[in-house]
Amino acid sequence: MLGKQCLNRYHHIDQGTEIERSQNRQRKLDGITVWYFDYMVESLPSMLQVALLLLGCALSRYLWEVNTVVASVVIGLTSIGMIFYLVIITAGTVTESCPYKTPWSLIIRHLVSWASSTGLAITSAFRGSKTMRTIAENVQYYHPWWSRREITPFLKDMVLELPHALAIDVYHLGKMMVWSSYAFAVGACHLRVTLFMDLHRSPSILDWGVDLQSISWVLQVSLDKSSHLAALKHLASMMELTNFNPTLAKVCFNTFTDCTTVNNCKVVVIQGSEEVAAVSALCIFSTISHLLGTDPTSSVLEEVHQDYLKVFPVQVNFSDNQFYYTMNVLRCLYFQSWRRQGFHWNGYKPPFHEHAIAAQNFVKIAWFKYQETPGKVPCFVLRFALHSLSLDPLPSTSVIANCLLIIAIDLGCNVSDMIVGYR
Amino acid sequence: MADAEDYHLIQSKHKAINALLPYAVWQEFGGNPEILDAFLHAARASKMLKFEWHHTREHASTILSKASPHTIVLVSPHIHWGLLTERRDLVQRWAAATSAVPYTEEVAQSVVGTLLQIAYYNRLLPHIPANIWLWLNMQPSLPPICEGRYYGTRLPVAKAVLELKDIEIIKSYFLLVWSEWDHLKDSVFDESCASLHQDFNEAWGGWHRGELIQHLDRILTQLNQGLEHLQQHNPNLEEYHFQRMKDQYRKLKDTLLEVVTGVSCPIIIPHCILTWWTCVGSHTRFMCALPLPCP
Repeated sequence: MLGKQCLNRYHHIDQGTEIERSQNRQRKLDGITVWYFDYMVESLPSMLQVALLLLGCALSRYLWEVNTVVASVVIGLTSIGMIFYLVIITAGTVTESCPYKTPWSLIIRHLVSWASSTGLAITSAFRGSKTMRTIAENVQYYHPWWSRREITPFLKDMVLELPHALAIDVYHLGKMMVWSSYAFAVGACHLRVTLFMDLHRSPSILDWGVDLQSISWVLQVSLDKSSHLAALKHLASMMELTNFNPTLAKVCFNTFTDCTTVNNCKVVVIQGSEEVAAVSALCIFSTISHLLGTDPTSSVLEEVHQDYLKVFPVQVNFSDNQFYYTMNVLRCLYFQSWRRQGFHWNGYKPPFHEHAIAAQNFVKIAWFKYQETPGKVPCFVLRFALHSLSLDPLPSTSVIANCLLIIAIDLGCNVSDMIVGYR
Repeated sequence: MADAEDYHLIQSKHKAINALLPYAVWQEFGGNPEILDAFLHAARASKMLKFEWHHTREHASTILSKASPHTIVLVSPHIHWGLLTERRDLVQRWAAATSAVPYTEEVAQSVVGTLLQIAYYNRLLPHIPANIWLWLNMQPSLPPICEGRYYGTRLPVAKAVLELKDIEIIKSYFLLVWSEWDHLKDSVFDESCASLHQDFNEAWGGWHRGELIQHLDRILTQLNQGLEHLQQHNPNLEEYHFQRMKDQYRKLKDTLLEVVTGVSCPIIIPHCILTWWTCVGSHTRFMCALPLPCP
């Protein structure tokens, strides 16, 4: 009942927009993980099982004095139940894939692994001990030491050598304990600082983390297009992608490929998915450009790269689509030849916010590429800056600032990763 | 501000500097000329004939539509006019801008540089207003490496100027493009010689001939200082070009002297007076009243 009560609170659907509801859901999910709610819920049936066992034992004890036959039947049933339960626990402990898993089997697995590692540590500690080595050497040297001839010198050597060996062992043990205490104290301080930082961290950063996780969840779990669109739009509107899970890039890419098909070397959007396709393309661009700077060796980057090459080979064109420019920028990142050939920015007049996001992403790419190949910002990035600054009327201040930043990076100005937006 | 010694660095960064141009133009229009000044300074210091990044011309129309006349004039030499769209409008806008800006040496250099570039293209030539050619008479000193010098020594430009049949403009053109920095194409050299025979053989042309001879003497003196001396200002100069320049300018001087000796003088004047006449003629702007030959 207690578990049910708690889960009801979790299942309760809050009022608000899709974004707010997703944020609340994510917060609750995070709470479940942090407070080990799953262990608590799993321990409740275990308590009932223990209670049942105690009841069986007590009943058997009571009936034994009243009627032995009835008591034997009860003892038999209790024993069968217990044996069955023990078999299940053993199977769950021994085999990872066993479906009859109980919390006990998990606990025993942990205990066994802990015991084996501890046993190994103790064994190695004994092997390294000077005292043990001294005894072993003497036993070997005076073999058979219990014979009348050997026992006296054996004991004499032991008396002479053991105190010294013991003193060495005690010294090492003491030293180890001092170091352990020091490490423990440092660890405790670090933990305390981390907790303090977590508690006092800016709520907006926490919110961004929650948002990114919930977006990832919505895109992976939901089949509803409007939910996808809302989640992607929210992702596209986020100027800060700090602490995001790299798989989000892949999720966005999968969402994009779900909305499109390739027909006669031309990308065609599935009817009704135009907006989702355009926003997901922008999200791919944002996540990839962020990953390039924060974690360029990420396996997700390589996976998306491979998927991109597979789904959209170089002969495929994106013309007549809203995402023409965005996807071609990715193509410039992935194909050296395409980077040289380039594409025309002439018709690029995106909405206000989309332009701002694109400019910020281009700054990240410029910064990353400049670090990768010192002294070179790719031509297509500079062309974006040239095009944006040539627009009439001029774009927003943030776009102008980012375009100037791109130029500054190419001119070799010292631009920190914080300004670029990687931190 | 970039220094002249940084030209390799500026050359390697010309794309980024060009990307800054539209914003520099906007800023100048808003009363902040600093970025545009930096751009022009870098363009001059680059020692690059084609400082323009070819993608800039896709936006040239937009950039120039919002620019002030002063900016249009100064930026125009750094735009590749041959491949522009809306050429006619742009040439007219440029021509209007030239008449709206006050004269300075920098402005004259830019106007002449652009004029010679535009005149190179047959499609653009008819759109040049006749009065723009008078800018040649200002005779600004063109830098060793610049668009004006490059296009000015090409045949279409030489033909366009010579067809004007204006001896003053033709002379100014020769004074601009004959230099120690460039040799002439063979076809241009031939056209120049022909023009010297046709246009400068009149007895009234004595002052012009004197000025041209003096200019050629100055060039030959510079060439006699050696290739290394000239390479300090124009690193692209090579031995082959150097030798051709020497030959060409010597021949041009000889041609001029031939023309001089071919012109008859109706009055017998002592040699010392003729020398004085030529010197005065080459340093003043009045027309020679008498058909006097140069000594």
